[in-house]
Amino acid sequence: MNRRLWLGLAPLLLYLAVFTLVPVVSTLWLSVNQPGIGFSLDAYRKITSHYQFVDAVGNTCMVTALGLALELCLGLALAVTLNGRRRAQGWMRVLLLLPLGVPTIVAASAMRYVFGTVGYVNEILYRLGLLTLPINWTGSRGLAVFTVAVADAWKVTPLVMLILLAGLQTLPREVYEAARMDGANGRQQFFHVTLPLLRPSITMALIVRGIDAFRIFALPLALAGHNLPVLSTYAYVEYLEYGNPHTAAASSTILLLLILLAVGTYLRLAGTSEVVR
Amino acid sequence: MKLPQSLFLAVMLLFAVGPLYSLVKISLSPPAEVMTAHPTLVPRHLTGQHWKGVLAGGQLTRPLLKSLIVATGVAVLSLALSAPAAYSLAHVSPRWRYGLLLGLFLCRMLPEVSIALPIAVVFLRLGLMDTHLSLILSHLALVLPVTVWILTTTFSTIPYDVEEAAALDGCNAWQTLLRVVLPLALPGIAVGSLLAWLFSWEEFVLSTYLTLSEKTMPLQVYYYLYQGNWFVTAVTATVMTLPVIVISAFLQRYLRETNLSGAVR
Repeated sequence: MNRRLWLGLAPLLLYLAVFTLVPVVSTLWLSVNQPGIGFSLDAYRKITSHYQFVDAVGNTCMVTALGLALELCLGLALAVTLNGRRRAQGWMRVLLLLPLGVPTIVAASAMRYVFGTVGYVNEILYRLGLLTLPINWTGSRGLAVFTVAVADAWKVTPLVMLILLAGLQTLPREVYEAARMDGANGRQQFFHVTLPLLRPSITMALIVRGIDAFRIFALPLALAGHNLPVLSTYAYVEYLEYGNPHTAAASSTILLLLILLAVGTYLRLAGTSEVVR
Repeated sequence: MKLPQSLFLAVMLLFAVGPLYSLVKISLSPPAEVMTAHPTLVPRHLTGQHWKGVLAGGQLTRPLLKSLIVATGVAVLSLALSAPAAYSLAHVSPRWRYGLLLGLFLCRMLPEVSIALPIAVVFLRLGLMDTHLSLILSHLALVLPVTVWILTTTFSTIPYDVEEAAALDGCNAWQTLLRVVLPLALPGIAVGSLLAWLFSWEEFVLSTYLTLSEKTMPLQVYYYLYQGNWFVTAVTATVMTLPVIVISAFLQRYLRETNLSGAVR
């Protein structure tokens, strides 16, 4: 590599080193250093015995799992429905993609109106005769997890749809002709042709979305606040409300490890070759 | 189209548009139609009172200004840092390119809270809290991997032959870059800087860590939401969404699957 090319790269690498790498390492360092004591795992001991932290780990995993499942199912269904329909794609695509651009905090506000006790979901269910008393959608832990996952799905299902739609459009038509010749019906074609061939796109969607899902922050904070701590908001509360950078660092580090673990496990199961293309 | 499919699409369209509709509707509704056990789905009366109240009160001027300055700063600086890097990446051997791009992707994996905490601790000590500079510097760190990714794809599509031809015609390296490469890369550069702008405009996590009182637009929305004033929240959130819709509409034409992985959150 010649010198001029390195010169172009150097400012970027330096910047990322100072503002990304150093912070992540110092978070790790903060988490294992107590003032006046030096190296100590006190911060980890403290948070793991804190029920809010234990809840946060569970909530993070549940929101991620439920959110990803929703996004993947809806995104896949949308992609398959829209695939090959040029005319329908035009205006529907514009409307379906609308939530993707909406800022997360705006999405959270809108969802507060939709899922509020006097919100629109309750009202619609009431008018359909399915409900007599309003539901408090963030009242219990299970419902709050569901609400946050739906809110997340609202915003990013379009992205999953786009990735899968792009994948669908690369599938060769001959395979479907062959499957039809062999007498496969629509459902068989979907499960035995489309799904296996679409695996690289699904892997990509899962990884891109999975990483973001673990880091979810604004939605649970704005929708459920202290009722639904997740790892990010737990770290935030520890630092900004209780002024303890060490426990905040410890939970941030655990979040980082969780992401690495999830991505690593998934890549091992799905095969690395599909992602690094 | 068969009935179940049409029904599914109809429900999904409603799901996509409904929350945004409710946001705008509430910003224009009299309280009697919203703060009741049975809110109206289609407004009976419209009122501009909330918009008037917020805009006349002027509470949005400072957050709007701060967000505008920060987002524009991030867009400009992200270009200054990522364009040379991306140009280099497009010209190095594929092994280096994929290695470095993978490294950038890994940067995108790190939790924001891990990055925000030490920056906040240091900036607090340096007296940089609440400044535009602190937000620009920290937002840049998150947005650079994305802009570099997009610009590298852009520069890679410009054939090297074009540059050689320019050199043969007597351009020196700088002239080739300014007169040949940059104009060809302009669409990619526009997309990259607009995405950087959008990213900073709506950034929430780092801004919360680095702000004590001078709020940005997203923090202002959260502040009203936390207070529980639905109408002021709706107006502020709508104001914040307007530029986003305009820019997204422009960007949608350029959204291609190649950029998707890093480009959109």
